[in-house]
Amino acid sequence: MFVSRSMTQKVVTIDKNADILEAKELMEQYQIRHLPVVEPDGLLVGMITDRDLRSALPSTFYKKDKEPAKTAAVSSIKVKEIMTQNLVTLSPMDTLQDALLLMQKTLVGALPVVDEKDKLKGIISVRDLLRAFINVLGIGQPGTLLCILVEEKLGQLKKIVDIITEEKISFGSVLVARYWEEGKRAVFPYLLTNNVVNVKKKLKEKGYTLLEPMEWYMDQLPKAEIKDAE
Amino acid sequence: MKKTGFLYDDRYLLHDTGPYHPEAPDRLSVIYAGLEKSGLLAQLVRLEGSVAEMKWIESVHDKAYIELFQSVCQSGKSSFECEDNQLCYQTYDIARLAVGGILEASRLVMEGALDNAFCAVRPPGHHAEINQAMGFCYFNNIAIAARYIQSKWGIKRVGIMDFDVHHGNGTQNIFETDSSVFYYSVHEHPSFAFPGTGRAFEKGSGEGTGFTRNYPMLPGQGDEEYRSVIDNDFIPLFDQFAPEVLLISAGFDAHADDDMSGINLSTEGFTYIMERLVETANKHSGGRIISILEGGYSLKRLPELINNHIEILLKG
Repeated sequence: MFVSRSMTQKVVTIDKNADILEAKELMEQYQIRHLPVVEPDGLLVGMITDRDLRSALPSTFYKKDKEPAKTAAVSSIKVKEIMTQNLVTLSPMDTLQDALLLMQKTLVGALPVVDEKDKLKGIISVRDLLRAFINVLGIGQPGTLLCILVEEKLGQLKKIVDIITEEKISFGSVLVARYWEEGKRAVFPYLLTNNVVNVKKKLKEKGYTLLEPMEWYMDQLPKAEIKDAE
Repeated sequence: MKKTGFLYDDRYLLHDTGPYHPEAPDRLSVIYAGLEKSGLLAQLVRLEGSVAEMKWIESVHDKAYIELFQSVCQSGKSSFECEDNQLCYQTYDIARLAVGGILEASRLVMEGALDNAFCAVRPPGHHAEINQAMGFCYFNNIAIAARYIQSKWGIKRVGIMDFDVHHGNGTQNIFETDSSVFYYSVHEHPSFAFPGTGRAFEKGSGEGTGFTRNYPMLPGQGDEEYRSVIDNDFIPLFDQFAPEVLLISAGFDAHADDDMSGINLSTEGFTYIMERLVETANKHSGGRIISILEGGYSLKRLPELINNHIEILLKG
């Protein structure tokens, strides 16, 4: 779960003295929205995003050939003039959870990963996190999701795992979530099988409640309050 | 009354999946007994399994995969690639007999000796990918039939309708980039059911974009929702595609009494679907239908479901 395992390592970067049209081309070519700005030795000095570019570039309605002076002015803008400095960064030994929480807090779409000397090691974006969480959920592999309601007390998961293991079924993932009923939890094992008939029967025999998937709504979870504009 | 072929072979019962496996030989036994009891069996043209030529199996699956499957069976192992895929010494041969029987049924339909056919085979096929056994399936029966029909009769547009409750990931995988085979699947939503594919945004790729259609249904849905999908989505799409032959991946596990899924189709719900499919084939395909058994695990419901399915084929 370390950032170093999920980040993009071959990072497309740009020099601070490059002009912004070059940055635009790179973003289009690689279909990315963030370009770390680095010194020749790899030192991270800033970041330029597609949003920075949009505000620096003229509107798409502007006609290049009619206003040569403006075109020249835009072409001469350097990356260093519009890049963001004082970046929020991650270290390779930070975890995916760190990245997730930090992105939620800072509202950025990508975080550069640097070593202790601020040299760029990689970048982790919302896209990398999506891929990582698809892996964590195990949903890239064929399987079946169960929803089991349990009392909130120690040792419940062990019993469930034992029952499933007795049926020789492998796990893709297990999620445990809060349930809207006090003192209960919902356990979601994602099982790598098509054949859940027997295991469902056994779980019921042992007294577990199997939730119908449609009885489970994410929006019944305690909601975060929507704050006014800060 | 139509000339309907019925493929069944006692040797299909020899594919032994061990105790407690839903894809059990009894499925075919109850289907056969049900047809016998209702008197329908006497009205059908009986077909038996035959050994499929390798070139047809290789038109879908990689040679290395086929050889691996054969060697796993002959090594005496009880599963292939995943615990789900239980098998026995004879499974490879039985799977080949299933394909061979289906190709023969296809030939008779294409040559006009039969109007349509139902193939009661084991093992099923729609989860099997080019290189991957999955979900009790080894050879993709329907995909091999489609390729066979295309190459022998130069058919330009093959329509496949898959109403098994699970998504036919294998069939989709095989024809994803192919605009000459339209794969339509209606199934339980992949977030709740095996195999986790068949989301609405999977629409084929490259030249095949738009020739794969997935309609996921939510647990608890049934006749009413399926009727709407068939009438408002499937029929307009197939009217546009106008298949020259209609192949059906006929799985009966969306029945409310089938505990392999959370979908609640009634027996009448299946009848409704099948009647619309026959109408579609009459409109575009000269009535040519080759329907191939996939899933369906309720031994109590299978006889009535198959009896109705076949009665509709006989009526045409």
